[in-house]
Amino acid sequence: MKKPAQLDLPQGTLDLLILRVVALGPIHGYAIAQRIQQMSQEALQVQQGSLYPALHRLEYKKFLAADWKPSDTGREAKFYRLTHKGKLQLENETASWTRLTEVVGLILQGPQGETS
Amino acid sequence: MNWFQRLFTGKRMEEKLDSELRFHLEQQVAEKVHAGMTEDEARRTTRLEFGGLEQIKEDCRESRGTLGVASVLQDLRFALRQLSNSPGFAITAIVTLSLGIGASSAIFNVIDAVLLQPLPYADQDRLVSPVMIGRTGDTLPSSYLSYLDERAQQRSFDALAGYSMFGRVNLEGPSGPVALSAVKSTDNLFDVFGVKPLLGRTYLPGEDQPGKDNVVVLSNEVWKSSFAGQTDVVGKDVQLDGTPYTVIGVMPAGFRFPLEAHEAVYTPLHLNPSWAKARGMHWMQTVGRLKPGVTNEQARTDLNRVMTNLARAYPEQETGHTVARLLPLDVAVNSLDRFGKRTLAGPLGTLALAVLALLAIACVNVAGLLMARGVKREREMALRSAVGASRGRLMRQLVNESLVLCFAGLLGGILVGWTVLKAMNVFLVNAMSRGGDIHLNFAVVAVAAALSLLASMLASLFPAIRLSGADPNRALRAGSAGAGTGRSQHRLRSAFVITQVALSLVLLVISGLLLKNLQGLLHTNLGIDAGKILTTRLDLSKGHYTGRDPIASFYNPLLEKIVHLPGVQGAGVIDMLPVRSWGDGYGIHITGQPPYPPNVDMGAETRYVSAGYFDAMGIQLTRGRLLSPSLDKSENAAGTMVVNQAFQQKFFPAGADPVGAHIDDDPKPELKSGIVGVVSNVRQALREPQMAEMDWLMDEITPKDRMQSLNSMALIVRSNGDLNALVPALRNAVHEIDPTVPFKTPETMNDVVSDSLTLDRLEGWLFGIFAALALLLAVVGLYGLVNHEVELRIREIGIRMALGSTRTQVTKLLLGKVALLMLSGLAIGWALTLALRKVLSAVVEMHASHDFLLLAGVTAGLALVGILASLIPARRAASVEPVQALRTE
Repeated sequence: MKKPAQLDLPQGTLDLLILRVVALGPIHGYAIAQRIQQMSQEALQVQQGSLYPALHRLEYKKFLAADWKPSDTGREAKFYRLTHKGKLQLENETASWTRLTEVVGLILQGPQGETS
Repeated sequence: MNWFQRLFTGKRMEEKLDSELRFHLEQQVAEKVHAGMTEDEARRTTRLEFGGLEQIKEDCRESRGTLGVASVLQDLRFALRQLSNSPGFAITAIVTLSLGIGASSAIFNVIDAVLLQPLPYADQDRLVSPVMIGRTGDTLPSSYLSYLDERAQQRSFDALAGYSMFGRVNLEGPSGPVALSAVKSTDNLFDVFGVKPLLGRTYLPGEDQPGKDNVVVLSNEVWKSSFAGQTDVVGKDVQLDGTPYTVIGVMPAGFRFPLEAHEAVYTPLHLNPSWAKARGMHWMQTVGRLKPGVTNEQARTDLNRVMTNLARAYPEQETGHTVARLLPLDVAVNSLDRFGKRTLAGPLGTLALAVLALLAIACVNVAGLLMARGVKREREMALRSAVGASRGRLMRQLVNESLVLCFAGLLGGILVGWTVLKAMNVFLVNAMSRGGDIHLNFAVVAVAAALSLLASMLASLFPAIRLSGADPNRALRAGSAGAGTGRSQHRLRSAFVITQVALSLVLLVISGLLLKNLQGLLHTNLGIDAGKILTTRLDLSKGHYTGRDPIASFYNPLLEKIVHLPGVQGAGVIDMLPVRSWGDGYGIHITGQPPYPPNVDMGAETRYVSAGYFDAMGIQLTRGRLLSPSLDKSENAAGTMVVNQAFQQKFFPAGADPVGAHIDDDPKPELKSGIVGVVSNVRQALREPQMAEMDWLMDEITPKDRMQSLNSMALIVRSNGDLNALVPALRNAVHEIDPTVPFKTPETMNDVVSDSLTLDRLEGWLFGIFAALALLLAVVGLYGLVNHEVELRIREIGIRMALGSTRTQVTKLLLGKVALLMLSGLAIGWALTLALRKVLSAVVEMHASHDFLLLAGVTAGLALVGILASLIPARRAASVEPVQALRTE
């Protein structure tokens, strides 16, 4: 099975992606990794080594809250949900990310050879 | 995990983290199984994908904020475990730090209480104490009449008060008579200090005049101790020396003047009429408060203007009488002489330097210990670093360990400081006028602790930075515990040892000189057998002797009783006890001799004694006869006296006989006092050369004047038995004759000598202890260094020996290094001592020729101790079996 080429996430982007995924509804860590992978069409694979520290960081910053609930398999799992603060953060970060990519795109795709 | 950690980190938190990650893992395994892998294989690949589970956990904990209580406590616990793994190291480091912090905070406390704390007066910077000198340059206070003129004519002081501290008074309290200091002063004494009384009032103007002056102001101490702090004490009558006085006020706690006057009461002057009238009686000390804006120099010029007027008006008494200095009171309080040239600031400053040196040695030692430990742990650190510990994390761990050490050292230091102050308490109270005010002050401890914490953190930070930067690759590959890695810090440790040796040498030299001087003073030839003589002061209450002769009604019956006590060989009284008090003398002229040149001291001390005094003291007659009540009577026209040998040498050419000579103490030849005998010398003061002395029999005073001169005498009892066993009998004897006389526990003359050397003993002992500690620490440092060197070079030594080196050669090699270190240390130490000689002279003078043996001995001793300390590890190195050494690791 050949996987599409994987991308490296720029610094800080993982937090944004996690917030985005969690915004869809309470979800546990494993599912978050799965969901990011799916949504990126397998282009992004989140390592557990970065995922969990990021989750704990976001929880510590009160962007996420967590509850222990039974999962689909019946085992107890830690479900993360977005807090109000996290929602604001997601909106802000999304806006600035969009703006950033637009600007970067503008420069990269701009008319070429305009120099005299 | 123990209960302690559970309490803080929360066992639940750890468990949840674990199950969260495990859940993920299981999900992943399940998915792989679902995709067709075998359970085992799925587990294996998932593990691989996951990487280090513990690593992830640690990162999670980290991302929750490392500054939480949990992680600090965890680090702390880890540090404690690390330290308890090497108790030898931990104990050495903690004890070292405790000693450094303890000694320095104790000394800083003394300095704070004695030099830095403001005096308990308002406007202390305007308070001065005039130092007046006479023609010959010796101190000469004012007479009462001159004081009145000074007070009236001066223009620079808000208030200029006169006082005397001659007095002890007996207060008849509910539990028997107590002897108190009596500060007798003019009516404006309290105006000078601007301190309001706690209860009642202070003197009204004119209240120092006879008739109105039976009033007393109590110090807070006396109010508490003798009147149980009753607020209705004001207005009550109390018996002072058998005379009723009205209590008019109570001073607040902390007010004390002079500062050495503990347990004092304040009364108006109560002048002896002859003192009030005679301009030649110079006895009155003054203290004044400068007007705002008036400088010290302006005030001195102003007072000297008055003195010049006085000299013009009364040339006989006042010529050459000037104000030499206006000593600021905060200097006067701590001055060791009458001019304020030597003050406690000198010795205390030097002591501060000494404790700082000790602290430096301690810190350097701990740094050395940490470094040595660091080398041993280089592999451990490399391993931690290799498995992913960040540099910051390693630093934190190392710094935490040092913190634990520092904290334990701080606790130990507080304990040591407290103990040192307690042990010094008696010394301090006796040696310094504010010594009783010294308590462990936590602000000062905090400063000392901060200082040492800073120093030891710096000391530990250096090895921490080095260690945390250890390249794991190299350290792990180097195999045998870093043969080459220790080089640079080895050099540093050598520098440490040199520093320690140098500082130790300075301390040893000072303490050696101090103790030598102290020995000299303690063994001054007093001219008496001090161990056989018991003495105590007898203070009679004047009120009980109005119209009575104290000799007939008290001294004679008392001495008669005492002489017949078992074991007593002799008993007598003298008004000024040798060694303890001196300075009651005046210039004399021997009848018939040419006039003495001016500005030459031709004074002699005078004493009143009982006939039994000479035998009791063990003084020998060398010429003529001793004094006797049957010959030397008050009815005689002319006085008679014996003089000491120093008097003979000072006033008579060799071979001339003083017996039969007279002094010009009266214009009429038949009234001139005559010398009837010459006796052996008794030292009057330890620090002064032997002085000329004239002794008069107390019976020569006319009975009505006796109480004036003889109200306070020192009892001298000589015994060949157990001196302490005599005390109860002496108490009974005194109280049988006069129960109103306070009985103070007698001391031997040896105690009197020790008492008068309190500051010297304090200095000597402190420096001695500091030097001993410094030496100990330096030896520990040196031993550690050599030991470490042997450990590092065990392979090299093995190779050398395999190649034919003998044990002697190996020992020589190591000792050669040690010798080099010691030599550098001693050289630097000597350079330092010589450079600091000026500062150190506040404590001790160094005379190269005089003290050569001592100085050489100290130096050689230090070198020897150093070599001995390194001999043990060096011998161990020499006993290395080459085969074994090469096989190690």
